[in-house]
Amino acid sequence: MDGIYSPGAASRSLAWATAFYLVLPILIVVPVALTDQRYLSLPQDGISFRHFATVLSSPEWLGSIWQSFTIAVAATILSVTAGTLCAIGCWRISRRATELVRVMMLLPLIIPSIVYAIGLYRYFGPLGLLDRFLGVVIAHGVTGIPYVVITVSTALAAFDPRLEQAARGMGASLSQTLRWVILPRIAPGIFSGAIFAFIHSWDELVMVLFIASRDVFTLPRRIWDGINENLDPAMAAVAVLLILFTLLLLLADRALRRRNEG
Amino acid sequence: MSAAAGHALGLRGLTKRYGDFIAVNDVSLEIGQGEFVTLLGPSGSGKTTILMAIAGFVAPSEGAVLLDGRDITPLPPEKRNFGMVFQGYALFPHMTVAENVAFPLRVRGMSKADRDAKVRAALDLVQLAQFAGRLPKQLSGGQQQRVALARALVFDPSLLLLDEPLSALDKKLRAELQEELKALHRRVGRTFINVTHDQEEALSMSDRIAILNHGRLVQAGAPGELYERPRTRFVADFLGKSNFLEGTVRQPAPGGFMLEAGASRLAVAHGQGAALPPGTRSLLSLRPEKIALLAEGETAENQVEGRILSWSYLGAGFALRIATPDLGELRAVLPAWKSPVAPAEDLPVRLGWSADAAVPVEEDAA
Repeated sequence: MDGIYSPGAASRSLAWATAFYLVLPILIVVPVALTDQRYLSLPQDGISFRHFATVLSSPEWLGSIWQSFTIAVAATILSVTAGTLCAIGCWRISRRATELVRVMMLLPLIIPSIVYAIGLYRYFGPLGLLDRFLGVVIAHGVTGIPYVVITVSTALAAFDPRLEQAARGMGASLSQTLRWVILPRIAPGIFSGAIFAFIHSWDELVMVLFIASRDVFTLPRRIWDGINENLDPAMAAVAVLLILFTLLLLLADRALRRRNEG
Repeated sequence: MSAAAGHALGLRGLTKRYGDFIAVNDVSLEIGQGEFVTLLGPSGSGKTTILMAIAGFVAPSEGAVLLDGRDITPLPPEKRNFGMVFQGYALFPHMTVAENVAFPLRVRGMSKADRDAKVRAALDLVQLAQFAGRLPKQLSGGQQQRVALARALVFDPSLLLLDEPLSALDKKLRAELQEELKALHRRVGRTFINVTHDQEEALSMSDRIAILNHGRLVQAGAPGELYERPRTRFVADFLGKSNFLEGTVRQPAPGGFMLEAGASRLAVAHGQGAALPPGTRSLLSLRPEKIALLAEGETAENQVEGRILSWSYLGAGFALRIATPDLGELRAVLPAWKSPVAPAEDLPVRLGWSADAAVPVEEDAA
């Protein structure tokens, strides 16, 4: 593969342009967050960290960060448990019907979240789940399932079914086989799924707009309101913090994968 | 030496169908306590399906599996207490050697101290004690195979099942481990059931071989018995190599007859009781190593003239293809160091063999 065809100048510059295009909107918030002005703008007389200080000392921002974090953790636990069990079940039974189940599990990914949000709004009302921590956790947890199903199914596809046979042949019950043989083998897949489910909940806005109002005020929701009401550069500072946190999670995922392959 | 630890296994009319396909067809076999039995057959002969039915991974369509006379057919694999070495070993890659070997003890809820002692004994048995802390991928193929053996034996299983245990190894290592496996069988005194398609492996290790073809048991017996007295053409051809001589039975007598093939008359002393009716067609199996090249003036009970078609030197011997007028092409293998003639293409030669060298075999049912 190495160096038989080296890319031409045209395709090389196109590739860089594409990469730049993808990253630019993310990068632009960094100087904006460091602005010395009182409104959303690029720095003029020098850089300043005062907007970061504002965010980290404001009870509203900190409250939202904490709320988003606890919701994301709870939603991730829900997604990982349900998604892993579903993937293992489909893998073990492995009939045509299970293919259908797997496609069903991917529905939250396929359906526009605004459609999903309208549906949630309709039936969360009578259940008393609107503007409740539990309601948002359920909504995020369920829509996070597809990420876990995908990553765990991929991990299971690489799992040697003879290992399960071997375990059972040596007298292991189903739960022992699951705990000691299957789960350790697919742990990297579960972990990847957990990271994606977490990120999904962490930056989810559309559903929160529909099913939460005052008591549940997640971080994306506060950014959204901030943009609508005033153009405080604190939002850019929050955005930078968000990007750093997400980047950290993805790096953790990568590191874990590399350790498992090596 | 605990021969009492061995258990007897019986198969009664075992049949397995997959839709219209019959993978195993009415196989009955008794395997005695402490025996080393090999199920031998080409791929698709049903040998692995039989092993999987014994292990409990395949539910038979008909028939039964008996352990010491008790029907165990409905038992799931985890309730059978059989040790198994899988093809490719199926070691748990995330566990060390010691953890792999301890696995069957751990599922039985054995205390850590008892577990450690048993694991050490099992690893000593396969001479791998110093590798206890390694991961399977840090071991060679032969070492992994021995870990699989230790893991399959550590919990004192009633039987040891081996699914092509040596197929992943290179030839030299395979020969070494054949001897090791046989020695291990002697030491632990347990009943071993081995599956292979490698006839050499079957001949060298087994107390008894069961030959399978198209899902049916063709013949079972001690290796020497199967080699010397194959019942059918398939057995003679699959276990070793064989020439096949076809002709008409003349002058039948108890234990022998003359076979008329073209202008040749061959003396056959098969030593088996009943005389064949004269005039019937008969098929003989004649092993290549039982044919000799006759020197000038030398005689044999059966003599045939021919010409060498081709020859190859194998170090220990010559392998010859010889064209004969009445018997077609014959293959002969002779020791190189005492060959009476130097082989050459087109060289006229005289072949000879004794009356008891060829044995009558049946054609296989299609």
